[in-house]
Amino acid sequence: MDHISPIVHVAGIEFDLAVIAMILITSILVFVLAKLAVRNISVTNPTKLQNFLEWVIEFVQNIIGTSMDLKKGRPYLILGLTLIMYIFVGDMLGLPLGIVTEVHHGATFLGMDLFLDGEEEAHIAWWKSPTADVAVTGALTIIVVLLTHIEGLRLNTKHYLKHYVEPHWLFLPLALIKEVSKPLSLALRLYGNIFAGEVMIAVILGMGVWGIPALVVWQGFSVFVGAIQAFVFCMLTMVYMSQAIVHEEHGEQH
Amino acid sequence: MHIVWSSLIIQLIAFLILLYLLKRYAFGPLLGIMEQRRQYVAEQIANAETSKKEAEQQLEQQKQALQEARKEAYDIIEQARATSSKQADDIIQVAKSESTRLKDEAVKDIESEKNKAVAALREEVGGISVKIASKIIEKQVDEKSQEQLVNQYLKEVGSK
Repeated sequence: MDHISPIVHVAGIEFDLAVIAMILITSILVFVLAKLAVRNISVTNPTKLQNFLEWVIEFVQNIIGTSMDLKKGRPYLILGLTLIMYIFVGDMLGLPLGIVTEVHHGATFLGMDLFLDGEEEAHIAWWKSPTADVAVTGALTIIVVLLTHIEGLRLNTKHYLKHYVEPHWLFLPLALIKEVSKPLSLALRLYGNIFAGEVMIAVILGMGVWGIPALVVWQGFSVFVGAIQAFVFCMLTMVYMSQAIVHEEHGEQH
Repeated sequence: MHIVWSSLIIQLIAFLILLYLLKRYAFGPLLGIMEQRRQYVAEQIANAETSKKEAEQQLEQQKQALQEARKEAYDIIEQARATSSKQADDIIQVAKSESTRLKDEAVKDIESEKNKAVAALREEVGGISVKIASKIIEKQVDEKSQEQLVNQYLKEVGSK
């Protein structure tokens, strides 16, 4: 019952068709949701969806407010909003259904050969959470972590560079390990949680009819996990950002 | 764990595009609206405060106007009272003088009537006594000396 990804090779580059499709679907869904919310936008008479989106905005503003001064965090509000909505919608998408096809060696999709890793027969999963792929979470993490370093260098140059060699230059390796572990933990936490959830769903499906109660319970739990992971990703983004751009008060002499 | 690097690049690009689109078409306008609402609320509160102040001012003005009206009414009543009492005094005065005049006239009338009556009575009594005397003494005394005698007696009676 091992599901593999629909991988094709075009011009020597490996493409995962399922992940590409899910990235597009999730992005379009998030955009349509946000666009619907700002339809008939109004100051005094907001629609229900507008109210909901405003609630999300305030929620993210609160997340930013807990880690840094809201004035400094204002530029990252839209980043945080996009992250939390994209990850939440991505987490939820994998839950309600799965599309699995059984293929044999030499099968093609739109004229492209499907790569079966040498197996004669395989089950290909076409529908899954985009966040259950380590490349996707890695990409999100790269954006966040690169941005923290750029903003740290741009807004807080002296303190940002100094924190690598504080309290002594011998601590440089430790600081570097810390900088590497941050994106790793961020990417792997999200990937691990969602991927594990999908694996668990596949296992429960293997139980047949008797698995239905377990499936209901596990899907409910997965909704919770997905929401928590979206929140945690957004929260940690803001925490890392504040670490990079906000310097400690005691070192400050104006 | 097999990493498909193309997915990473595609996700990177897709996320940046999504970020831009959301900012341009959804969150930008929405944040603008939220800011507008904040200003709207602040404006409404300021408006309410000014209206309250105006209302208080008007209330104060009306209170003052009411006070003035009351004072004026009081003055008018006082004036009316003074006028009426003066008029009453005048009327009483006039009535008093009228009554005095009437009384005097009456006294005068009585006096003249009395004099007239006395004169008439005197004449009558004179005539009657002459008749009585002439009846009694049967024309012994002539009328002229008789009248003289009676007048003498009557004078004595009248002076008493």
